[in-house]
Order: sequence, then structure tokens, then C-alpha cells
Amino acid sequence: MSETCIEIRDLVVRYDDVPAVNGVSLSVGQGEHVTLLGPSGCGKTTTLRAIAGLEEPSGGTIRINGELVYSAGDRRNVPVEKRGISMVFQSYAVWPHMSVSDNVAYGLRVRGASRDEIAAAVDRALDLVQMRSFANRSASLLSGGQQQRVALARAIAFSPNVLLFDEPLSNLDAKLRAEMRVELRELQRRLGVTSVYVTHDQEEALAISDRVVVMNVGGIEQIGTPEDIYNRPRTRFVADFVGSANLIAGRVRNSNGAGAVGFEAGGVALAAWAGHSPRGDESHVAVRTAYIDMAADQAGGDTNRVAGTVRQRLFHGDFIQYIVDCPVGQLNVRRPPTELFEEGAAVTLRFAPEHCVLLEG
Amino acid sequence: MTDITRDRLLSGAATKWSGLPSGQTVVSLATLIFCGGLVLYPLVYLVAEAFNTSGEDSFPPAEIGLGNFTDLIDDWHVLANTAFVACLATIMAIVIGFLAAWTLTRTRLPGRGWLERLMELPYYMTPLVGALAWSVLAAPRTGFLNQLWHGIGGGGDLVNIYSPFGIAWVMALFEGTVAFVMISAAMKSMDPALEESARVMGAGKWRTMLTVTLPLVMPGVLGATVFVFAEMLGSFAAAFVLGLPARFVVVTTAIWEAVQSYPQDYPRASALGLALFGVMFATMALYRWVIRQRNFATITGKAFRPRAMAMGRLAWVLFAACVLYVIVAVALPLATLLLTSLQRFATVIMSQSQFTLANYETALGFGAVRQALVSSLGLGVGVATVGVAIMTVLVWIIYRSKAPGHRLIEYVVMFPQAVPRMVFGLALLWAWLNIPIPIYGTLWLMALAYFTVLLPLGVRTLAGVVLQIDESLEECARVCGASWFYQLRTVSIPLLRPGIIAAWLLVFIASVRELGVSIFLVGPKAKVIAPSIISSWLSSSSELSAALALIQTAAVFVAVIVLFRAARGVSGERL
Repeated sequence: MSETCIEIRDLVVRYDDVPAVNGVSLSVGQGEHVTLLGPSGCGKTTTLRAIAGLEEPSGGTIRINGELVYSAGDRRNVPVEKRGISMVFQSYAVWPHMSVSDNVAYGLRVRGASRDEIAAAVDRALDLVQMRSFANRSASLLSGGQQQRVALARAIAFSPNVLLFDEPLSNLDAKLRAEMRVELRELQRRLGVTSVYVTHDQEEALAISDRVVVMNVGGIEQIGTPEDIYNRPRTRFVADFVGSANLIAGRVRNSNGAGAVGFEAGGVALAAWAGHSPRGDESHVAVRTAYIDMAADQAGGDTNRVAGTVRQRLFHGDFIQYIVDCPVGQLNVRRPPTELFEEGAAVTLRFAPEHCVLLEG
Repeated sequence: MTDITRDRLLSGAATKWSGLPSGQTVVSLATLIFCGGLVLYPLVYLVAEAFNTSGEDSFPPAEIGLGNFTDLIDDWHVLANTAFVACLATIMAIVIGFLAAWTLTRTRLPGRGWLERLMELPYYMTPLVGALAWSVLAAPRTGFLNQLWHGIGGGGDLVNIYSPFGIAWVMALFEGTVAFVMISAAMKSMDPALEESARVMGAGKWRTMLTVTLPLVMPGVLGATVFVFAEMLGSFAAAFVLGLPARFVVVTTAIWEAVQSYPQDYPRASALGLALFGVMFATMALYRWVIRQRNFATITGKAFRPRAMAMGRLAWVLFAACVLYVIVAVALPLATLLLTSLQRFATVIMSQSQFTLANYETALGFGAVRQALVSSLGLGVGVATVGVAIMTVLVWIIYRSKAPGHRLIEYVVMFPQAVPRMVFGLALLWAWLNIPIPIYGTLWLMALAYFTVLLPLGVRTLAGVVLQIDESLEECARVCGASWFYQLRTVSIPLLRPGIIAAWLLVFIASVRELGVSIFLVGPKAKVIAPSIISSWLSSSSELSAALALIQTAAVFVAVIVLFRAARGVSGERL
């Protein structure tokens, strides 16, 4: 990570008495794409709006490109229009009383750009989102996906320092959402602009981010690369919220600090991996449903081998979900549709120790 | 000091310290003081005078006591009259409103859309116009209906509109449309699936209506009943035109008489006014409570198109009743006034009638009446233009800004709604008589008064539009770098334009037909149309009154047509 672009320290935002964000600290590097991920009410949108200056915090500091834009101690609160940021709203907020190009030109007009500059920048932005041919269309006549593109073009047209996204894809249908994800990632790479993205969709967060910040009840649960978050969840919340995981209850048997640890669940000894030095109060390991192998015979080593019976099979198309009864509890297993087992069949489950992650207590 | 208050203070200070959004704070504070003063200042005088027992009209009173209120007990018949007429009129209005709402939302009949529009027309006729027309139609001996009755050899009078029933009738015709609008809104907000599931469970048509439809609609009907009752309590024109000839006095007309009598009895008027205000305030509080009770989870803000029921021949009977209502409430009064205004002496026996344009010549020629007409239209345009501009800023502060006290402003500006118009007029009269600014008896005071009493109307209309506009449309402008004023100019106000047009027209209409406040503030230098109609009627020229009433109605209807046009343009756009 290069130079820091956004730096948040101990941010607190209260609505009346209730803290919506409670002591969040976070830094975003230049050109980095960071996603705030969490369920509704976790404070992710509030954090984003505090960065934008749309929400007034009651504690902490926020710096953008080194400039202190909010500081409770210094009684400093730079208004939103002076922060040099840009934002794409959940509702798109495309102004219905203007044409597409007027919408896109707005930020440039506010900044007093010349007519030629505006025309060039508008064309460039509309080209990027492939909406050039709609430039003179009234914004009230656009479909949801088109409005989304216009909102994006408008946000990037005036070359902001920072781009903020507030669940920009949540109002699109599933197919369009998947397409826009690819485009957003591409656009972000091409522009190299620092961006903070808010979503409750974990797939989206994993797909388009350099780093993911998982939030819950106003605080940060874990910060890491998408692979980190998926492969090495730190808490039960993260394991449960991101991707699909089995939480196996048991206790730590032996450990020598972080790394390989012994775990016992339902009388079965499991080889697990810990990202932290176990303190002894840990009670769960997480195993991703996609990381469990399933076979009809018992061939292979003894490590993390669990015998079980297929209780239920659910065909999802892209994968098959098996619910398997075994001594450690009921496990969810995701296999490709080529691996077919009948309900009631006896099976052997296996997973690598590094995929059996000890969670913090 | 708790942490929260300290944080609040700190953040407030932060705003000021960085010196940036203070534009909002200043504007919002100024509006709060201005509007708060306009609304509350007169009421202070009203309250003081109501408790003034010194026998001298001074402020503050030299002696205070409850004497003025205990005197009211002797006037129990006035209070009883008021309650009787209001109850009677409310029942009639609710029956009209309920039947019409049922017919127009639940049956599938041709021309339903048109009739729905027509049903709103009685609202734009003022009670004064209705009362004048019905007094011409149904006064004892001289009323058109009685003339015809005598003509065919009937003895005595067929109808007598100068009675409590007459007053209630005219008021119900006017308020029936209010009840209709409120009840049909309740009916439209019900998800048809609720009825459909009753049918699926095996309930018949009538059983469904009794067990599902009516219980769900009842809170809406109850809300409309309380609201209409509160309006009836404060109404003046019908009781004045139709009650005084028969010496039937209600609270509002008693207030007027106390002020008109010599010597003027302000303490009695104020006590009456304050008592009426108290009752109306309690009724409005009850209304809000009823409305809040109807939070059945099933009734959402969403509008549904209810499924039409096959009602058979009954539907046509109901349909005819709705048409009859529009005829009796709008067409018949207007036709009566038109005929009267063109005659030297009002008569329906054509062989005796002498047609003339003299009444219009008097109205439009040079003189006091023409002056009143011009002033009214001028005031309408002025108050609508300046008023709506201020109201727009107000609505902005109330619903969008984070400026301190923005919720308080809402209470203050909506307050005049809870005060009967007559009582507010009285309070204004008394308050501005006592102030050294030489504004009393001028059109300036009239304009200020109109603005004050029409604040709730304008603010409510604009708020309806503001709340529909997604907040992020504005936030986005700020994010793009616009200052608050730039954002208002380029985003907020253009988006609000349809609402601004509607509010302008509604305020204009309300100004042109204003009576309750105007009647106390008119003077030689400040004449407006509604009180002029009253005074020409008092000087027993129903012909000239009819001409004036028609001119006033015409001005209102032109504005209404423009309003409907504008409203259609609004719904066509996607906001």
C-alpha cells in the first residue's frame, strides 16, 4: 500500500443517543479500492457519509489527502462541497429535470470550468460508461441501469480525489449487477482513483475490492484482502457473514501460539489453523462449505477425516448442497454438480488443516 | 453536563468555527423569529384580553380574572346552538362523503374519473357563496322555491333556510366533499388482497364487507368525522347569512356581534374565541390521535386501486346521488346566483323579472366595490408570490436542513390551522390595534394576516412535494461541490416547481375567498371582496351580492382550472 489517502481515527457518529458508528479507525491508500461490508445497521453507510461530510460525527478525526476535514478536538468540520470527493448514491440521485449531459456536467459547472473543458470531460466520462449516445436524453427517461451509468459518469467527470459508493448496485437486477461489477472493477483500475465502497452483498465485496472491511454493530470486525477474509475469518461473525461456512463447536486441545493447533469436537480430533495465539476461550472452528471433500470410500490420510451420512441433497444448479450428519455435528457441503451422492449414503468428509480456522472467542 | 450535550455543543461550535454552513443557521433562525412572531404575537393579545376583567381595553390588562368566561355560562344557548348545528352538519357531511367515496372507489361505472373531479368542485365554492345562493333559493316567502310553491297555490312556506337545519344543510354541502376526499383516501389505501383473501376463505360479498372492509375503513371515517366537526365549529359564513335573520346565534356569529356592537365588547369576544379555540384544539388533538390509531400494519401509505364490486342496480342509484350532490352543491347555487345577479329584484317568476346588468356595472364600475375586487386580486397575487417564496424556504428548513430548531418551526407554522379563522382574525385585530406601527387599517396588515393564516396550507402543499423528492438528489449536488444556495437554485427549486405552482394557486384561491380574518381587518382604506359581499348583503341587496359572489367564484374557478392543468403536468413527470 502506497501513501495514505483517507485516514479515519476513532470515528464516533451518534443518532440522538444511539451510536451508529463506535470508534472506527481505518486508512485507505492512494488508488486503493476498499469496501465496507456488513449487514444493515452495522454503520457502514454512516461511516461513508461521515467521510463525505453528509453526516456530522461526534468524535474522532478524518483526514483526506493529509487535510484534516473533521476533528472533534479541533472543532473542525469541512463542509461536504469543500472536500473534493465524489459519490454514487444508492438511489442514483440522477436529477430528473436535467438532461444526461447536464447531470454529468454539474460538478464541472460548479467548479467554473470553461465550456470546452466541460464538453470534453462530459464526453470522456460518458464514453467510459458507454452512454455517449444518450447525452441529450432527458434523465427522467432512463432505465435503472442507464441511470446507474449516468450517476457514475457524473461522479467521475470532475476528476475527484476520492470516489465514494453507497450500495450503487443494490437496485439493479441480478444479471445487470454482475455485469456492472466487472465494469466497475475495470473502471476503477483504469482511473486509479481512491474509492470507498459500501455494500451488504459479500460476493460483490469480495469480487471488486483490494481490501474488505467487515463491520458489525458500529465497529470493525476484520480488515483484509478478499482472500484473507474468505480463507482466514477471525470471528464467528465474519465466518458466518462472508461466504458460507460450517461453525464447529468444540475446544482447543493443544497449541504452540499462532499456526497449527489441535482442536476437539464431538470426540473427533481436528487439525486446525489459528491466526492468533490461542487464549483458551476459543470455542469454534470454521470450515468453508466449498473446502470440504466428499467421497464414498475411506481412501486417503487420517487428518481431518470425518465419517457421515447424507441427510439431504439440494440441487442448486451451479453446485449441489449436501447436509451431512456426522459426529462433529451437521455439516453443510458444497460440491460441483458432477459429484452425485444419494440421500442416506455413507460418506467420508475431508478438509485441509489450513481450511479449518480457529475463531477468536 | 452529559457527554451528549457537550458533543452537541462542540459540534454546534464546530459548524460556526469553520464558518461555513452558517448561512443555513442564520436564515433558519430569522424565519423562526419572523413566523413565530406573526403566529404567536396575536394569540398573546387574545389570551390577555380574554382574561381582562378591568373593564378597560388596555394591554396588559389592569385586572385579570375568569369573569369573561363565567359570563359565557349565561350564553349557554349560543354554545348549545353551535354544538347542535355542528353535529347535524357533520352527520350529513359524513353520509354524503361516505356514500360518494364508496360509489366512486368500489363500483365500476362509466365516467367515474370525471365524477371524481366534479366531486371536488364544492370545495372551491365558499360557504359564503353557498349560503347566499341558498338564502335566495329558500328564504321564507321570497325564496325561489317558496315563490314557486305559492305559484302553484301552496300555502305557507315550503322550506325555510333561515333555521339551524338550513345552516347545517349548507355547511354539509360544502364539507361533504372534504369528507369524500378523506374517506376515499382511506378506501384507496386498503390492499385489495385483504378482501380477496376473505372471499377465498369462503366469505360472501356482504360478509366480506361487514367483517373486513368496514372495520378497515372505519378509522378513516372516524378521522374524517372529527376533522369535519372541528371545521364546522369554526365556520362563520353560513351561520351568519342564514342564522342572523332568525336570531339564531352560534359562537362565531356571537364573536362578530360582540365586536360590531357599540361599545365593542372585546373581552367577551376574546373569551368566546378562546373557548372555541380550546374546543377546536382538543378536537384536532383527538383527530391526530384517531389517525395514529389506524396504524393497522395492513394499511400502508401505498395507494391501491380497489377492486370494483358488482353492485347491480344499486350502483346506479348511488351514482345518481353523487351527480345530484354536485348539482345541489354547485350547479344550482351558481345558476341561482347568475339569475339573481341579472335581475333588478330577485324572482324566479319569469313574467315578473326585470333583467339588467346594473349589478355588474356597480361591481365593476368605479367605487368601493370595484376597489375591493381589485384589492382582493392584488392581495391574492402578492400574498401568493411573496408568501410561497418564504414558505418554500420554510419547508426547506423544516424538512431538509439540520439547522437547530427546525422541528420547532414546523409546530409554529402549522399552529394557525388549529385556530378558528374568526378567532385568529379577532386576535390580529386586537394585537395590531395595540401596536404603534401604523399598519392597522391598511392592505399591508391584511397581507400579513393572510400570509399568517395561510402558512399551514402552503407549507403542507409544498411539504407533500418535498417529501417525495429523494434527499440524495440534493446531497449529490453538495458532493459535486455545490454550495447550499447553488444547490437550492439548480436542484431543489427546479424539482419543487410543480409543488410551488400548486401552492401558489392554492394560496391565491384561499386569499381571494378569505372571510374570517378579513372581516375584522377591513377599513375605509382596506376593502376586500368577501366582506364586501357581506356588507352588500346586509344592506339587503342580494342582487349585487350575487354578482360579487359570482365574480369571486369565477376568479377562483379560473385558478382551479389552471391548478388541475398544472397538476396533470406534474403527474405525467417522473419525479
